[in-house]
Amino acid sequence: MATVIDPALHTAVFAALERVINRALELAPANRQELDSLADCVFALHCTAPEVEVYLQPGNGRLRLMGYYDGVVTTSVRGTASDFAELATAADPTAALINGRLELNGDSAPLIELQKIISTLDIDWEAPLVEVLGDVAGHQLAQFLRGAYSWGRQASSGLGRQLEEFIHEEARLCPPRLELEDFYRDVQQLGLRVDRLQSRAQRLRKRLRQLRE
Amino acid sequence: MSDKDTTHFGYKEVDTGAKAGLVADVFHSVASRYDLMNDLMSAGIHRVWKRFTIELSGVRSGNAVLDIAGGTGDLAARFADIVGPTGRVVLADINDSMLKVGRDKLLDNGRLGNLEFVQADAQYLPFPDDSFDCVTIAFGLRNVTDKDLALRSMLRVLKPGGRLLVLEFSKPDNPLLSKAYDTYSFRVLPVMGRVVANDADSYQYLAESIRMHPDQETLKDMMEDAGFTRCEYHNMTGGVVALHKGTKAQ
Repeated sequence: MATVIDPALHTAVFAALERVINRALELAPANRQELDSLADCVFALHCTAPEVEVYLQPGNGRLRLMGYYDGVVTTSVRGTASDFAELATAADPTAALINGRLELNGDSAPLIELQKIISTLDIDWEAPLVEVLGDVAGHQLAQFLRGAYSWGRQASSGLGRQLEEFIHEEARLCPPRLELEDFYRDVQQLGLRVDRLQSRAQRLRKRLRQLRE
Repeated sequence: MSDKDTTHFGYKEVDTGAKAGLVADVFHSVASRYDLMNDLMSAGIHRVWKRFTIELSGVRSGNAVLDIAGGTGDLAARFADIVGPTGRVVLADINDSMLKVGRDKLLDNGRLGNLEFVQADAQYLPFPDDSFDCVTIAFGLRNVTDKDLALRSMLRVLKPGGRLLVLEFSKPDNPLLSKAYDTYSFRVLPVMGRVVANDADSYQYLAESIRMHPDQETLKDMMEDAGFTRCEYHNMTGGVVALHKGTKAQ
């Protein structure tokens, strides 16, 4: 028997999450405006592992999170938590939806739009800092943090690139992505040929049995 | 005089006609500190219970909503945001002190236009038949003298296909939780009421009225008897609170 989660529990979690998301949206006015274009759309996300169901409804520059919704849903997506994480962080959400393991029902265009808004969330951290520290100190600190963040992002992407090159080219610990994709394609084709051969052998066996009878 | 002429007020047996006045005195007394006491008594969880009620209500833009015993307007405020300028939310309460606190709070927060305030008795709702898409009553039904009459009145004002949501204290489903809850209700609540609101009696009544309120299954049967269909309930916080939902047949 499936365990029934107390509605108060997941409602509290969604309330906290909604608060955080909307606070972030308040600091990203451009994304908020984009979100309004999706007003009246309802997205149902059914996560199978762990089993959670959440409905997202944008509107008035906010995102509403609900555990229950009994109306018409624009887009419904089913998959595991890792599948959803893959979609949320994908550079190309369309490709992620087509090639991924997510099961999609309804209109995919608003979902892709929502993913783009979330992944390009441009939060203006300066506004709350200025509110607390004042114009001069807040601006200075925000500039320092912006510089540190940009340096960190560049450093991490550079490090990632170099590490990839070292693993593939220098240490030869792992084949490059294209080589690996080629290999998988060959394996897939081999699998198909084996299946065809198996069915041909079965057909021959059946015909031999008929001739003997 | 028959036994029918008396009803319960907490654990006390009182004349049916006197209950409304006694309940009114309780709420006149607690109105000014109602929100603060709710937050203290429930550790803020009442907001989660109300949020779940809103989710289950299925209220959408343009809907008409009636919030009975709306008190300080927590549900009405959220509904007013959801229904938007094309919708209508009526905050109704029998108690003028509670209604004044709710009206002032909502107006002070800039909520106006789609909100109306009506002093009304849940048993005799002053609205035409088939007026609302959704009717809610949160922590109010147990104070109503004739609950069956009130449920039938709510059914009458609902549009066909409309939903009634009753959020109310109920019976915990775990004996251990039930014991802890009893201790909290009868030992801690009156003390809290005395210290914060300077009114222990009202909070003693609150604990008693919760125990006298019908349990989950009984209330569901009452809703079905009143004429609601597809009746169901969701226990929250181990059954300390239950949300009942019923629909008016199309």
